[in-house]
Amino acid sequence: MHTLVIDTATEACSVALFDGDKLIAGNYAKLGRGHAERLVPMIAALPGNGKADAIIVNCGPGSFTGLRVGLSAAKALGLAWSVPVTGYNCLGLVAIMALVQQDGVDGVDVAMHGGHGEFFVQPYAPDGKAAGELASLTPEIAAARLQYNLIAGSGSEKLVSLCDNARALSLWPDARQAMRLPEHARALPAEPVYGRAPDAKPMAQQAKTR
Amino acid sequence: MALILGIESSCDESAAAIIGTDRTIYAHRLQTQEDEHKDYGGVVPEIAARAHAQHITPLIEAALADADMTLNDMDAIAATAGPGLIGGVMVGLVTGKALAMAAGKPLVAVNHLEGHALSPRLVDAELDFPYMLLLVSGGHCQILRVDGVGQYRRLATTIDDAVGEAFDKTAKILGLGYPGGPQVEKLASTGDPKAVPLPRPLLRSTEPHFSFAGLKSAVLRAHQSGDYGDADLAASFQQAVLDCLQDRLEKTLREHGGMKSLVVAGGVASNAAIRAMLKTVAASHGMRFVAPPPWLCTDNAAMIGWAGAERFEAGLTDPLDIAARPRWPLDEHAEKARGAGVKA
Ligand SMILES: Nc1ncnc2c1ncn2[C@@H]1O[C@H](COP(=O)(O)OP(=O)(O)OP(=O)(O)O)[C@@H](O)[C@H]1O
Ligand SMILES: [Mg+2]
Repeated sequence: MHTLVIDTATEACSVALFDGDKLIAGNYAKLGRGHAERLVPMIAALPGNGKADAIIVNCGPGSFTGLRVGLSAAKALGLAWSVPVTGYNCLGLVAIMALVQQDGVDGVDVAMHGGHGEFFVQPYAPDGKAAGELASLTPEIAAARLQYNLIAGSGSEKLVSLCDNARALSLWPDARQAMRLPEHARALPAEPVYGRAPDAKPMAQQAKTR
Repeated sequence: MALILGIESSCDESAAAIIGTDRTIYAHRLQTQEDEHKDYGGVVPEIAARAHAQHITPLIEAALADADMTLNDMDAIAATAGPGLIGGVMVGLVTGKALAMAAGKPLVAVNHLEGHALSPRLVDAELDFPYMLLLVSGGHCQILRVDGVGQYRRLATTIDDAVGEAFDKTAKILGLGYPGGPQVEKLASTGDPKAVPLPRPLLRSTEPHFSFAGLKSAVLRAHQSGDYGDADLAASFQQAVLDCLQDRLEKTLREHGGMKSLVVAGGVASNAAIRAMLKTVAASHGMRFVAPPPWLCTDNAAMIGWAGAERFEAGLTDPLDIAARPRWPLDEHAEKARGAGVKA
């Protein structure tokens, strides 16, 4: 059974093709921008155009645009190949990647760049299960709420600079690591987790603030 | 005969269609976002992008089912690649790329404006190039000479607001909600077009362009004066738009004669009063008048599928790394018209 993994939720853009849990081929690029241009050619460069029996996609939270690029491609491929599409949580994968690298820690706080200078943060226990709620916070508030000494993710360096006794592990989610997630964690609905509402005020509110 | 899947997601309509190069519309599905945006008095880009991401694949699936076809039956996948709200455009374009890659079919990246511009040819097999096109939509007001697929010469454009924008802003002033065009037209039919004195910007100007910003401001002032009823305001506004469109169009037709057909396209072309005026203008210049049915004037995927069909037949396909474009004028060489608010 082949699985295609698509991850465009952050500055990184990655794809991977697995046979069972075994990685057949993959690609990872730290793009910043341009996921919408690079993603489909990256998939096409995989063996057999990346054709798989199932598709798994990073559903966020992350860059709004990035999430939509990955989910749109995943859903379109699911339609074209008549295969199921499921999702995983962005911070959950970063947590697993950190825990694999740093064996024996008592847990990890994941911090990823969000919008408006905020970070998406969430603590994870050593078994990779979430140990608290997801939140979008300013760096200062996020730093004050950290639970562990290890901080992983794109926002880790910044948070470490704001507190004592913490270690940063700069990490971005990588599709090639996705099979490390427990099965239930990669079987989430393929729906975006934006983590923040759109920036728009209804007219009734606009009138009041004017 | 070739079959094309068309995908549209550039503004506030998500749509999918299956079109034959023989002009058959095998399926057309459209999901409007009016409800999502109505509390905001206009289209909110992030809300639009989220809605497109939710709806576009199910719409394609439904269109294929309606036509009793599969992706393998398609000869090409056509998706709007701009201009428009970039978040939404990306959703449709990435979807189109992934479908094209998976099915091993060519991708056609369609300029949404070319979709509007060629839409009359989908319903009128007799409409040959070249023709004179009045493109009137939410973001544009242009007169173009259409010489062929991908061949456009812009003869006039708005120096500020688009004509659909003027309708939408007037609707907002009159508290008619969004989208405004159809509501203003409805209200106008019950009012007196001569009741409110309104300006006709650039009327009889020696430059060929349009302007609507001053008209919109005048509507606001007239409304605030409390001297006029809403129906009279709507009717007088629509009359002023008609007069401006007619004057500017007559000027261009006088200076660029020799076209056999006058064609109108874009959302505002669904306005019956504007269509009636254009018909008489065409007749007085000895031209044939062609207007797509109203549903094909506002945003839809049939026009994207058709533009895709025309481009595919002309051998114009695109690579899978093509970028979406928020701005994408039909005539890339057109001189900049004065004014900063020009959208293309
Ligand atoms: N009956 C009508 N009378 C006047 N205006 C109308 C009518 N119906 C629709 N419109 C206007 O048409 C516009 C929508 O047209 P369309 O969908 O082609 O525009 P758009 O896609 O938003 O812009 P563009 O095509 O320039 O990117 C809106 O401004 C709407 O108010
Ligand atoms: Mg349009």
